[in-house]
Amino acid sequence: MSFFANLPRWWITVAALVVSAVLLSPFYWVLVGSFMTPAELFGGHMSLWPSHFAFGNWSAALNRLRPHIQNSLIVSTVASIGTLLITAPAAYGLVWRKPRGRRTLMAFMLMTQMLPAIVFVIPLFIEFTKVNLVNTLPGLILADMTFTIPFALIMLSAYMKDLPYELVEAALVDGAGQLRAFLTIVLPMTLPGLITVGVFSFLIPWGDLIFALSLITEDNLQPLTLQLYKALGQYGVDWGFLLPGSVLTAIPAVLFVVVASRFIVAGVTRGAIK
Amino acid sequence: MRNNTKSPAAEKTQTVVAEPSRQRPRKARFDTSPYLFILPFVIFCLALLLYPVVYSLTLSFRQATVDTFVSGDMPFNGLTQYQAAVADPVFWRAVINTVLFAFFSILFQFTIGFLLALFFQADFPCKNFCLALLLIPWVSPVLTAANIFKGLFNGTGPVNQICHLIGFGPFPWLAEPAYAFPATIVANIWIGFPFNFILLYAGMRSIPAEVYEAARIDGAHFWKRVTHITLPMLKPVSVAVLTLGTIYTVKVFDLVFVMTGGGPANGTQLLSTYAYQVGFSLLNFGEAAAIATLMVLLVLLLNLVQLLLQRR
Repeated sequence: MSFFANLPRWWITVAALVVSAVLLSPFYWVLVGSFMTPAELFGGHMSLWPSHFAFGNWSAALNRLRPHIQNSLIVSTVASIGTLLITAPAAYGLVWRKPRGRRTLMAFMLMTQMLPAIVFVIPLFIEFTKVNLVNTLPGLILADMTFTIPFALIMLSAYMKDLPYELVEAALVDGAGQLRAFLTIVLPMTLPGLITVGVFSFLIPWGDLIFALSLITEDNLQPLTLQLYKALGQYGVDWGFLLPGSVLTAIPAVLFVVVASRFIVAGVTRGAIK
Repeated sequence: MRNNTKSPAAEKTQTVVAEPSRQRPRKARFDTSPYLFILPFVIFCLALLLYPVVYSLTLSFRQATVDTFVSGDMPFNGLTQYQAAVADPVFWRAVINTVLFAFFSILFQFTIGFLLALFFQADFPCKNFCLALLLIPWVSPVLTAANIFKGLFNGTGPVNQICHLIGFGPFPWLAEPAYAFPATIVANIWIGFPFNFILLYAGMRSIPAEVYEAARIDGAHFWKRVTHITLPMLKPVSVAVLTLGTIYTVKVFDLVFVMTGGGPANGTQLLSTYAYQVGFSLLNFGEAAAIATLMVLLVLLLNLVQLLLQRR
């Protein structure tokens, strides 16, 4: 059904592009602004395009942020892989092997989605202090996984429900062990789901601020987001650093959206509608 | 004992006899494999999800401040933390702000998402491209959005520049509570509309075309079809979107923490930022845990209210 039944289709495209452009204008501003000097940005009159490109912003920001980009990459990659290693067998086990207590576990996963981050932040801070996990990347990774694990399990369970289980049963009858059936049949058949969930499990730690803020005080261990937050307060806002840094922080997410839009739309809607 | 007395030969014959029965699953034996699949997950849940939740809840009944934290014993003191929390006017300011923040965010996110979803029911070239672009605010880190809007609402930033062009302002956007609060809501609407859009879009797609066709033949105009077909048939999806929206909005932390830090003068203080401040600036973990528990109760209460309104 459409309001535009009688319009040529290309006109709708133009209208859609205009609407998208308006809604995304804040993003355009940060992109263009990252190449402007603060004087031009906040000089009092609108400039839609830099009068000259201040590439210095970018090279300075990249230099300063390089070790922190590395921290973010390590944390997000390990958290994502760890999340998949734990939740892929678990989602399969819960959906198809029907262990006792699975309903309680699923209900608990949904419940954790309702809890504010602070519920986890304070206990983890206190306990991690005791076991010397504060100010370590493994500590931050474990903390970030408290966000990714419930999310990944809920999403992967939806994918696992679509698995043609007869194939697994056939393999088991043919003498394959449980583990082999899982590795050679279940994993390949749920690969699109695993990729989508894996990418989201990368993006969530990548964008995390609250755990980094409470667990990491040592400068050389701080991830990208925390470093950018720290730059806000010290001596007023250094926009020439903050804007390129903000664009940089958004790059993985934007890349993902552009490359895999179809996957996301399918993945997100599948979880919610079912 | 019996095994020890067995001769090697007897053992051998036994395994040979056992061989054919391996083909069939033995029902009598308890199958442990489902539990092995979920074992790492269950361990993680117990140690890093359930334990913190229980810990946070018990902490809210303990005195956990700097001195007790260092000495290691945090004595139980009943409801003292809760009493201290609700006695503070800033707490109530944060409650009101959280509710208003959630209400206006969801109202506009849902409306924008609904209109976009309606628009995207048409098929046109480059549709998937536009759809993907519109997801960017939602998938990019909240910190990016917070920094963008901190810049847009800067004293001499683009928002005031546009206001100036049409003859208004300049407004003290992030400097005064009455302006800073709506500014944070605008930023949150920007982050959240794609989520509403994409779920409502998918929900609308699942309404069969024949229903619309029948209404069209009966002479129902576009808006009549929207209000009489789309809205009622979309109800289950809308309920899901609104429930998730409430949960996510009450949890918002990074955005306000980065944009305003809860200020000026607690004007944008939400329960999430307030709890963090009490915990990590005042180092009163017990009271912060109490505020966290009250936040969960608020989410439950808001969802209950929503449920009752939807019943009507």
